[in-house]
Amino acid sequence: MAETVLSVKGLQKAIGKKPIIHDITFDVFAGEVFGFLGPNGAGKTTTIRMLVGLAKADGGDIRIGGISLQEQFPQAIAQVGCIVENPELYKFLTGRENLEQFARMSGGITPERIEEIVRFVDLERAIDDKVKTYSLGMRQRLGIAQALLHRPKILILDEPTNGLDPAGIRELRQFIRKLAEEEGLAVFISSHLLSEIEMMCDRVAIISQGKVISVGLVKELMEQFADQVDWTIPSSHIQKAEEILRTLQAVTDVWVVSEECLKSRMDIEKVSEANQALVNGGIPVMGIATKTVTLEDLFLTLTGGGGSHGAEHSGARTK
Amino acid sequence: MEQSIVGLVQNETIKLLRRRRFLVVVLILAILIPIFTYAQYRSVVTAQERMGTTDWRPLLTQQIVDMQNRLASSRLPEEWRDLIKVRIAQQQYYLDHDINPMAPGGPTFARGFMDQAISMFLPMIIVVLAVDLVSSEFSEGTVKLLLTRPVRRWKVLTSKYITLLLFTSLTVLTTLILAYLLSGVVFGYSGWDLPILTGFEVSGGELETSGAFMLPQWQFLLMQYGLGWFVCLVVATVTLMVSVLVRSAAAGMGIMMAALISGTILTQMASSWESSKYLFVVNLQLTDYLNGTLPPIKGMTLPFSLTVLSVWAIAALIIAYATFIRRDVTS
Repeated sequence: MAETVLSVKGLQKAIGKKPIIHDITFDVFAGEVFGFLGPNGAGKTTTIRMLVGLAKADGGDIRIGGISLQEQFPQAIAQVGCIVENPELYKFLTGRENLEQFARMSGGITPERIEEIVRFVDLERAIDDKVKTYSLGMRQRLGIAQALLHRPKILILDEPTNGLDPAGIRELRQFIRKLAEEEGLAVFISSHLLSEIEMMCDRVAIISQGKVISVGLVKELMEQFADQVDWTIPSSHIQKAEEILRTLQAVTDVWVVSEECLKSRMDIEKVSEANQALVNGGIPVMGIATKTVTLEDLFLTLTGGGGSHGAEHSGARTK
Repeated sequence: MEQSIVGLVQNETIKLLRRRRFLVVVLILAILIPIFTYAQYRSVVTAQERMGTTDWRPLLTQQIVDMQNRLASSRLPEEWRDLIKVRIAQQQYYLDHDINPMAPGGPTFARGFMDQAISMFLPMIIVVLAVDLVSSEFSEGTVKLLLTRPVRRWKVLTSKYITLLLFTSLTVLTTLILAYLLSGVVFGYSGWDLPILTGFEVSGGELETSGAFMLPQWQFLLMQYGLGWFVCLVVATVTLMVSVLVRSAAAGMGIMMAALISGTILTQMASSWESSKYLFVVNLQLTDYLNGTLPPIKGMTLPFSLTVLSVWAIAALIIAYATFIRRDVTS
């Protein structure tokens, strides 16, 4: 198993007398992209602020590379690179001067390292311009440069795709995958967008109202909530239809929903084959509806905010 | 792992200079000092025209007569009466010992300038320098970068404080240099050795001239700018606290301006409210102790004022550090 880079245990936080984070626990390993998923107001940003030392936890333990953040702040935080909300930089300084500021604070960073990171985020041409002349995308890249400058073990990003255009999001996604897979970095990403987590992350912690309600592999969660097909079949044939579907390899589960409706969990690309099998078996199929289950449905199910097996979400799936 | 404070001070210095705070301060001084020089020049010329002579003795005699006339007026309040009596005694001493207290020249102007600037003008300039030192990091969000580095919070604030003290000192020095150089264009650059009378003591509203002695003007200036420097350090420290507590630069500026102005108002009317002498803004006019001017409130002495200012500065520092180290950063 890969090294545990970030370990959070029993994290608690109250603002005033109102507890807003209760008992958040999870681990993040080297080389993985870890999603931190929850609706706005679930406590994502508050948790991140505690992870990077901007806010103090009322209880619980945060360890980075095995070092307690609360007890040995400088040693622990030296392994963290982060962008909390927007990348705020000194607008009246140039990009290079900004990086030099952080280099002096982190220590042990050579001018060559600054050159290297500037090339890495592709900002060579603008690095000696003042940051106030930068576009949002350029600021984002400079923000990533400052976060990676001191070679952290973990990169913490709070809603990184906020304000980016689709091309920018795609670019960021590839960039993050590259960091995790090639550089072995742990990447921690918070988001309220389920599709984003689904596309970028290996594992995910889902939080709601200051509690972690589920932690697991994104793939496993997706399998558990695989695509569904609704079959409308006359009640006289429904028994037989169920038997036929059960014999098919592509179908993982079948159950009768109502007198004329049958549900199967299966690979959606195999729908026509399944239909063929039913027709060959003499079943008059009256209707087929496919449903793609996304993390969105999963989320609604887990938080009890929606129907039993998610919202109707036919057709288009962004991938 | 622990970073040296020198690098952090370098960071803060770069930010302060690139924010053009010090440039603004120097520009304010460079524009206002010539204006004051011209005003001083006009008042000398007008006085000479009125007297019909360039001799200072009749001028001083006339001032003493003016003040004696004011004393004769029955509408004059009692506390003013004491003050004017003291002034007359002092002027008479200058006349008797053949010392021209208004002898123009760059050093004399610099002395007069510090007398006028110590309680309002210089503190205001220091406020310009210090008021957004911490609050701008919060309002611009850059504090998130500052506090997520391997540096403890007290060290971050200390680097800011050291930088502030450096630039405060530099501002006082610049004031002396600019006041001397710019006024010298009109008044000439001589007068460093001019004897200045000091060592007055005030006891029970009476000016004790027994302890008075002469000091070459350069020594007097050194003492005076030393006191001015101390006042500026205290104002800088209090402003740092305000900058930690208040997030908007405009609000911080308003608070400090209100404090300084109320200090000036209080010194003029607080003689009957004795405990106001424990406010730091009432104790800023330290140079008066050198000049032998009666303090605004009975019982105030130079050691007393220095103590009050020090206590305020230390309290401000404690509050600033405690708040900065403990506070959660929220958006």
